[in-house]
Amino acid sequence: MLTLMHFQIVSAALFSVGLYGVLARRSAVLILMSIELMLNAVNLNLIAIASFTDPERFTGFIIAIFVITVGAAEVGLALAIVLRMFRNRGTVNIDEIELMKW
Amino acid sequence: MIGMEYAWLIPVLSFVAFPLILLLGKFFPGKGSSISIGAMGAGFILFLFVMADLLSNGEDFFSYKWFDVGGVELTWGFIIDPLSVSILGLVTFVALMVQIYSVSYMKDDPRFNWYFGIQAFFAGSMLTLVLADNFLLLYIAWELVGLCSYLLIGFWYERKPAVEAAKKAFITTRLADVALLVGILLLFKQVGSFSMSETFEQAELLMAGANSALSSGTTLIAALLIFVGAMGKSAQVPFHVWLPDAMEGPTPVSALIHAATMVAAGIYLVARTFVIFEAAPDSLLIVAIVGLLTTLMAASMALVMTDLKQILAYSTISHLGLMMLSLGSFGYTAAIFHLMTHGFSKALLFLAAGSVMHGIGRTDIRQMGGLIKVMPLTALAFGIGAVSLGGIPIFAGFWSKDEILLSVLDHRHPIFMILVLVAVFLSALYMARAFFVAFMGELSDENREGHEAPALMAIPMILLSILAVTFGLLALEWTDSFHGIGSFIFVHEGHGFEFNLILGLGSAILAASAFIIAWLIYVKGSVPISPFKRTFAPIISMAERKYYLDSMYQGFIDRVVLVFSALVAKFDRVFVNDVAVNGVAESVKRSAFTLRHHVTGLMYNYAFVMVVGAIALAAAWWAVAVKG
Repeated sequence: MLTLMHFQIVSAALFSVGLYGVLARRSAVLILMSIELMLNAVNLNLIAIASFTDPERFTGFIIAIFVITVGAAEVGLALAIVLRMFRNRGTVNIDEIELMKW
Repeated sequence: MIGMEYAWLIPVLSFVAFPLILLLGKFFPGKGSSISIGAMGAGFILFLFVMADLLSNGEDFFSYKWFDVGGVELTWGFIIDPLSVSILGLVTFVALMVQIYSVSYMKDDPRFNWYFGIQAFFAGSMLTLVLADNFLLLYIAWELVGLCSYLLIGFWYERKPAVEAAKKAFITTRLADVALLVGILLLFKQVGSFSMSETFEQAELLMAGANSALSSGTTLIAALLIFVGAMGKSAQVPFHVWLPDAMEGPTPVSALIHAATMVAAGIYLVARTFVIFEAAPDSLLIVAIVGLLTTLMAASMALVMTDLKQILAYSTISHLGLMMLSLGSFGYTAAIFHLMTHGFSKALLFLAAGSVMHGIGRTDIRQMGGLIKVMPLTALAFGIGAVSLGGIPIFAGFWSKDEILLSVLDHRHPIFMILVLVAVFLSALYMARAFFVAFMGELSDENREGHEAPALMAIPMILLSILAVTFGLLALEWTDSFHGIGSFIFVHEGHGFEFNLILGLGSAILAASAFIIAWLIYVKGSVPISPFKRTFAPIISMAERKYYLDSMYQGFIDRVVLVFSALVAKFDRVFVNDVAVNGVAESVKRSAFTLRHHVTGLMYNYAFVMVVGAIALAAAWWAVAVKG
């Protein structure tokens, strides 16, 4: 029997993978992908809780759709920034991008 | 009919002239001088109307509300009484003469309109001071007068001595002004109002022994403090040091300062607040002593100076001392009368001295001599001024000086009388010396090219000469309604003309003999001067060194004031600046330099901190909301 707990465990695992990717990866593109993983983990969580607790109302689903929309827009913007960064500096390695340093 | 309710216009006209000259002066004829002279001339005409009104309707005062603060109502207001109107006439007339004279005297000066602007402002301030009906307004005008004299003395500020003299004048008078302010506040504290009439009412109650808001101790202290203020402005010993130095200003300015504005303010103040002095009679004795000391010291210094303007400056101090002595001897009328006769004569003398400088470009009387041949009109004007101040009968100074002698004789110890007669003799002697050395005798070759004063300078001298000759006759009884000056200007009750024949004759003989002695010494040369010089050598050498007062003050400033200031400056630099201000800034800077290393610029560092923060927040929430 599939319970809410199962979904939450998958969601948590997915989120942790994403978090690890954000912290450990050096490539800006991979970090972006990791952020997408974290967003999807959140979506999974939302939909699961919505279906298990109150399936009559679509609150959770609607928020998930919002997250997907905003995530798409954000990725579009972030990829554009990464592209410019590559054009200007010839790299997307965030170790080398430290202009905000003291 | 224009009456006394328009008197406030007199100073206001001059105040309005000041910005007008500075901003729009160049569009007017005479580069702005016409505005100032126009304002002053209108002021003089208004004075005539006010005087006519005063004579027919008696004295009055006007007061308008300014603002309320803490339950005290402050007012603008003016007094129209014989005292204020007399000084009004003196100031407007002398200022008008000086300004007309200045048009010619200052015509090549690059700051011509600034000069006339300040002249107008100066006259306006002095007129406000004279008309003010409350101590607050009087004090404001008092400070403005000090400021304007500072600006005019330092008018040629490219020259170092002028700057020094201006500073000296301002600081010296300012020191005395502090006493005046404290005195005014003391009176205010007990009376509860700045109004003069209310204060005088209380003082009169005190004098009558009735229940008064003023206590006799406070009245004495306040009177003395007011007198210290007057000593500063009227150059009484030991505050007199600024006046001789003030000669660095343009000569017409000296004429104005010495005759009508500035130094007259101190005498006017004591006369105005005379009731307060009377309520504390001990203060009048001090006034008399200071006046006597001043007149003697200044007269002896005037006798040994060789600069024409310096002689006149010390002569002014000496006569101011005489006026103070007169006030201190209950000679209220005599003091004000002498203020006016001296004002006309001294303005005349200064304008003549200015004409000499204009004509030959020298101020040392030893380089002059025989100037009567190249500038007869100037010589005549100077001569009239000299005999008037010297106290030769018929001329103005004689009458007022005689009134002073009379009040000293009536109210003070005989020793005062003897000393004041010495001062009278000396004052005739130094005037005679200045006149004979500068204008008589041999004309030297380099002075042969000197020229007479141009018309604009001559006319004021002529008009002032007429007054210096005739003004004293006001002392006499002329008609049934006019019983001499004493029936017009008085403090409690008027009195007709009083003349002590022996005293008048004595002082006239004294003055005449001084002139004759000076003539024998300096013109005829029949009396050698060296025995005198040997006999009085210590006094002469002290007088030549200005009784060491200037050096004492300089020494005090060098050894005490400057040392203390250096200490304060050190404290400011080390403690306030280095520790308190820079120290705080430095510590903030240091910690910032240390702490900035946390800004790595690396994205994953920031992300990691965010994660740690989120976990910490979650843990806290869990600990508080779920477990607790």
